[in-house]
Amino acid sequence: MDPIARTAQDRAVTLTSAVESPNDALLANAARDGDRPAFGVLYDRFGRMVHGILLARVPRSEVDDLAQDVFLQALRRVHTLRDPAAFGPWLAMIARNRATDYHRRARETSELSEEMGVQDPQQAEALAVLCAIKTLPEAYRETLMLRLVEGMTGPEIADRTGLTPASVRVNLHRGMKLLRERLEGGKAHE
Amino acid sequence: MSDDYLWDGSGEPDPEIERLEKLLARFRSSRPAPELPAGFSGAQTISLWMSWKSLAAAAALALLCIGAWYFLRGERPAWEVVNLEGAPRVGSTAIVEKGRIMVGQWLETDGSSRARISIGTIGEVQIDPNTRLRLIEARATDHKLKLVRGKIHAAIWAPPRLFKVETPSAVAVDLGCIYTLEVDETGGSLLHVIFGWVAFETDGHESFVPAGALCERRPGTGTGTPYREGASLAFRAALTKLHFEARSVEERAEALGIVLAEAQKADAFTLWHLLSRLDPRERSRVFDRLRELVPPPAGVTREGILRQDRQMLDRWWDELGLEDTTWWRLWKGPPPAAK
Repeated sequence: MDPIARTAQDRAVTLTSAVESPNDALLANAARDGDRPAFGVLYDRFGRMVHGILLARVPRSEVDDLAQDVFLQALRRVHTLRDPAAFGPWLAMIARNRATDYHRRARETSELSEEMGVQDPQQAEALAVLCAIKTLPEAYRETLMLRLVEGMTGPEIADRTGLTPASVRVNLHRGMKLLRERLEGGKAHE
Repeated sequence: MSDDYLWDGSGEPDPEIERLEKLLARFRSSRPAPELPAGFSGAQTISLWMSWKSLAAAAALALLCIGAWYFLRGERPAWEVVNLEGAPRVGSTAIVEKGRIMVGQWLETDGSSRARISIGTIGEVQIDPNTRLRLIEARATDHKLKLVRGKIHAAIWAPPRLFKVETPSAVAVDLGCIYTLEVDETGGSLLHVIFGWVAFETDGHESFVPAGALCERRPGTGTGTPYREGASLAFRAALTKLHFEARSVEERAEALGIVLAEAQKADAFTLWHLLSRLDPRERSRVFDRLRELVPPPAGVTREGILRQDRQMLDRWWDELGLEDTTWWRLWKGPPPAAK
């Protein structure tokens, strides 16, 4: 077989395997080589995690752009990842670092811009709850964002972020308790 | 109720969590996977190594120049200002789309202008028409504006006490997280808390204003008391008269009588604040009414309250069903429940 054709065939086999396989590092490597379906699978699998981690730390209007940065940064550096099983925690770390970097650069923010004047009570309440979550201690804030905003379950959060299930459960329990107290306090005279 | 639903969605659904999930779903990630940049490839990364190296050197040089420029220029901290409507001005400069306000500068809107300021990375303030304010502090540990006229809407998502607004009659200290603050031509200020808490401080007095409550201050005429939006008109009018208008002992006594008669259980926090604002005789009347609405806990005595025993006042506050006093008064880190 023509060597070029063979290479193409091999690559196709590799990519198909990557998309069907749960091996995240394999997917990342394929995506790094420009494979769109592999990138799509990775994004589906980790998009909510990255979005939630960023939402817990930076203004909402910045989250989507930063999430894209995080994925592209991860793809560029995936060859440095020694343990393929650690892709999720590694990606989570990149997202947290990206948020820190965002604050270090003290870029301008524009959260709640349009919404502040909006009279929709549900939107106002949703923003207020988001605000309340953002004032919680960091560990609770991130876990609650993933659970309540991104719709991930506790086991999913543990699986994607690399936190132990026990830690996630404790963070959810304590975070929710604090959030309830904060919301009840906030609504005491409504 | 067990935590199963919170943990993995199994078990009996928790109505509050279900409600929050529905409410917050609007903020969920909805953008599809972004396009990979054209030519995105690890191989290209290697083949273009020399180009990247050149670019990196140029970027480093550019950063060095920018850093030196900022250093030599002595740039002061600044926040972004966005024109929402009309022609807001920072100093003498009109903000067309976006601009910046530096520490010490004034921002002003006329009758047809509105603007928005990003408070570093901790929140935003929307500025209504006919408003004048100044940026006083823009440090990571202290964010402060001075509002001399007009109305602002603040939304802050930072730990308590990082953001403050000075007015001619009081200082609003954010305890998280949404409120409006208005200053009229006389320098009087009106605070309206939409969500969370705000401390309103002046002359050594501190009012803790919860969501759904307002608090008024007028320069030179004493300290107002927070009251809830739903308080009766008679209650609100009498409270205003008591603090700002009554000239004689008789007028004060009459106004206080109306306040006490109109007070409902939800107004207990107003009466609690009055305990430290009025003279001993008036305080005694407030004690009697507050005791009817919310009985004091064991150990909290009339004598102790009348002599302003801080511990007893705090213990009674804790009976009101609002946040624990330690949470808002002594905040220096996570609330007690987090420890």
